[in-house]
Amino acid sequence: MPPEIRRGFVVFAALLTVFAVIWAARMDHIPPAEFALQNGTDPRTLDPHRATGQPESRIIFELFEGLLRMLPDGPPDPETGLQPLTPQPAMAESYEVSEDGKTYTFHLRDNIFWTDGSPVTANDFAWSWQRMLHPATACEYGYLISEVAYAEEYHNSIVNVGDHVEVELWDRPGETPSSDANIQHFPRGTMRYGTLREIVKPPRPELPEGSSDEAQESAELDWQEQWVYVVDVVPEQADGSIDWEAPASPQRFAASPAIAAADEAVERTHGVMVAFGKLGGAEAVDERTFVVRLENSVPYFLNLVAYYPLFAVNRQCIETYGAPLWTKAENIVSNGPYQLAFRRLRDRVRVEKNPLYYKADQVGMETIDFISLESQNTALNMYETGQIQWVTDLPTAVLQELKKRDDFHSAPKLSIYFYKLNTAVPPLDDVRVRQALSLALDRRQIVEEVTKAGQQPAYTVVPPGIAGYKSPQGMPENVQRAQELLAEAGFPGGRGFPKLSLMYNTSETHRPIAEVIQQQLQNNLNIKLELKNMEWGSFIETVQMEQYQMARYGWVGDYPDPNTFLDLWVTGNPQSNTNWSNPEYDRLIEAAAKELDPATRMDLLRQAESILVTELPIIPIYFYTSAEMAKQNIEGFAPSAQDLHPLQVLRYRSKPSPESKE
Amino acid sequence: MRDLLSYLFKRFIWMILTLLAVYTVSFVLMRAVPGNPFSGERNVPPAIERQLKARYNLDAPPIQQYFDYLGGIVTDFDLGWCMGLEDYSVNQVLAEGFPVSATLAIFALVFAIILGVTAGVISAVYRRSPADVALMAAAVLGIAIPNFVLASLAILLFVFTIQIFPAGGWGTLQQIALPAFCLGLPVAAYIARLSRAGMLETLSKDHVRTAFAKGLPKRTVILRHVLPGAMLPVVSYLGPAVARVLTGSLVLEKIFALPGLGSHFINAATQRDYTLAMGMVLTYTVLLFVMNTLVDISYAIIDPRVKLQ
Repeated sequence: MPPEIRRGFVVFAALLTVFAVIWAARMDHIPPAEFALQNGTDPRTLDPHRATGQPESRIIFELFEGLLRMLPDGPPDPETGLQPLTPQPAMAESYEVSEDGKTYTFHLRDNIFWTDGSPVTANDFAWSWQRMLHPATACEYGYLISEVAYAEEYHNSIVNVGDHVEVELWDRPGETPSSDANIQHFPRGTMRYGTLREIVKPPRPELPEGSSDEAQESAELDWQEQWVYVVDVVPEQADGSIDWEAPASPQRFAASPAIAAADEAVERTHGVMVAFGKLGGAEAVDERTFVVRLENSVPYFLNLVAYYPLFAVNRQCIETYGAPLWTKAENIVSNGPYQLAFRRLRDRVRVEKNPLYYKADQVGMETIDFISLESQNTALNMYETGQIQWVTDLPTAVLQELKKRDDFHSAPKLSIYFYKLNTAVPPLDDVRVRQALSLALDRRQIVEEVTKAGQQPAYTVVPPGIAGYKSPQGMPENVQRAQELLAEAGFPGGRGFPKLSLMYNTSETHRPIAEVIQQQLQNNLNIKLELKNMEWGSFIETVQMEQYQMARYGWVGDYPDPNTFLDLWVTGNPQSNTNWSNPEYDRLIEAAAKELDPATRMDLLRQAESILVTELPIIPIYFYTSAEMAKQNIEGFAPSAQDLHPLQVLRYRSKPSPESKE
Repeated sequence: MRDLLSYLFKRFIWMILTLLAVYTVSFVLMRAVPGNPFSGERNVPPAIERQLKARYNLDAPPIQQYFDYLGGIVTDFDLGWCMGLEDYSVNQVLAEGFPVSATLAIFALVFAIILGVTAGVISAVYRRSPADVALMAAAVLGIAIPNFVLASLAILLFVFTIQIFPAGGWGTLQQIALPAFCLGLPVAAYIARLSRAGMLETLSKDHVRTAFAKGLPKRTVILRHVLPGAMLPVVSYLGPAVARVLTGSLVLEKIFALPGLGSHFINAATQRDYTLAMGMVLTYTVLLFVMNTLVDISYAIIDPRVKLQ
């Protein structure tokens, strides 16, 4: 290299560095929001039908709105500090419930608009509910409204001969008869309606004995794709209704491209499903009236209606941009108190007041930042220095200190921390062993020395604080009884008891709790536990394949009713994984679901719970409490049992001066 | 010039081969670990899980997935949609996160070079003086202290005791200062030691003695005759330094709540976000390869004894 190049290179490198620094120093400054909060992990999606976690729900509750909404009702409970929230009119200004509790009629307001200016109508809700239930949306909360007429069949795409069905032809945008599916199920292809007359099924494939559940499931679904459906197609009327008795022309449909290509008379379809939208389960009677028909009365149905998966999404927006592009800030159309300003990945979601919201003048904060903040320490630091005004997750190490402060809020939450037991594995198949394990635990030590946020020791499964429900007694600690039970089960003094393994997912709190329990069982029963730490993905899979003995779990109530904690444990529930089955329990849960009288229903559930806490397929450890801090100049902040915080009711007592915000 | 081009060409071929190997190994490893992107506490019904898998082409046989996805990357740099952060495509995640990581890396590196070289030169010139001892002791500490400890100390000092910097977040230059400092300090410590050693070695060279003998002022000798030679080890360390700054930011991003690429790396792995994890692995491979190549080239330009091969 000639020396000139070398000298030139040094100059070049220096210039490059300068440019790099100048580029890096260019920052688009964003003024801080009026209110900012710690929102945990970055939200995975803003689509109300796809979201599952709390970080997502906090945002979606502000961006969208349902017929009803959970809002503060009366002053906070002086004892627990809990703010009662009840489902209150939102997009609907009133509603009626039929006497048998099976028909709900919602009357929508007439001054409600989407952020693009178009009015919100009952049709929006009918369409949104249908989208939520459509299997291709893959909404995890579809089961919540399985009591809506035909919802369960539609959600799980179950059809039977004789059903009124809808057939979606293979002509979504960009599809040809032989192409792959356009995974955008909305906009949909052409719809045909009719009565299913026959399903022509090829012989069922035989799988070798002992093939895995997954292989069987998959073979079953493959087989179903080979079915040919014969449907008596009737025309759709101009107003969108269907006369099922109209003169029909039989047509044949198949999902498999091979079958559709082989036979001229068979048309390719995305699927034949019950015509949920046309059968009146969730129906827009007119622009302002939305009627829901249930197969059985659901006492907590209004709570479900106020839950975000049942909020309305904008059909035109979704059909124009498709999922997930419709959730981008430049595309999204919503109807809540706030609208999306921008979203910066792993940084924040900024929302601003929606001027078209019908109660916009009562919405407190102009802008809100949902800061993606996972680290508890960082969140606390940012709270202390005034960068955020509400911190939702506090570091356990300093909880004792923080508890003394006035801006600290703690209240029982509707969720439980427990251990699942695999009752198929000896010796856990013996109820005496399970009882002994539970009786030998000192839960008070765990909540006082490990978790420290004021959690309540749990001897039952349903957390306290559900109106009208009182849990059975449960079995408090009794080491002597535990030892007796263990001896009766054939392990006097713990002799001959195999080493059990206790699995938990990686977390700062699960390990110390498991260690304390390991110690207690060792001391009280002479039982040895092996602790197994697993990363979340592997943990979930191992438990679902039921290859575990004891596993740590948590459950947060989906709605304020004991059922959300109890129906998990009925025989065959995919969430149970305990192999526990009790016909009496199943019967009680089923009877409760059909019971109209609230008091009798609660009593049935209570009986079921007392079976659960005697048989103990799960060992309850404690009920969670929230531990959070919010600046004291904020009005309207109070903890609630479901950990819901409607943000539109928050406002500053006196507007803070601009300097104090940053 | 020709050897430069042929060198670049060779490096490029190597990079393609490396990427292919990285792609293959990551593809196999990701699918070998238990769990899948859709496993959650709630089991989804089989029909719905199938729809989800179809959405991400996970229902195809693995071999076909392998080639389909590779095809997308090769033909239009399309890394697919994230399976975890479902509103984003991998390319969008990279486009949003990369400037943040790059900004942080640039500040950290520039800071490390300026501080490290200055400290090294001072130590070497005033060898065995208290300044030398103090600086080199600081350098040892800088290397030994992990950057999360450094970050905690820095937060204690500059956020709470002397309130000049914000505790975290991204958006202003003030918010970059602390993380860049914590990220750059260990690198600065290395550079200080390297440049001190390089300086001492060059100072004892004949041409330096000649320069002093000619009566050139000390300043000129150091800047013109000693420093260029002494910088060679520092330049060759820049390759690993870039790698260190890019990967070391994982921890700091968490502590300072920065929206860089690092945390995506971890989250993609724990959430079994196959596409995002693949995108991250490939991006880091390309980045490190390009940076090392640049360092090699500049090394060859600065030091006439080095030939590119």
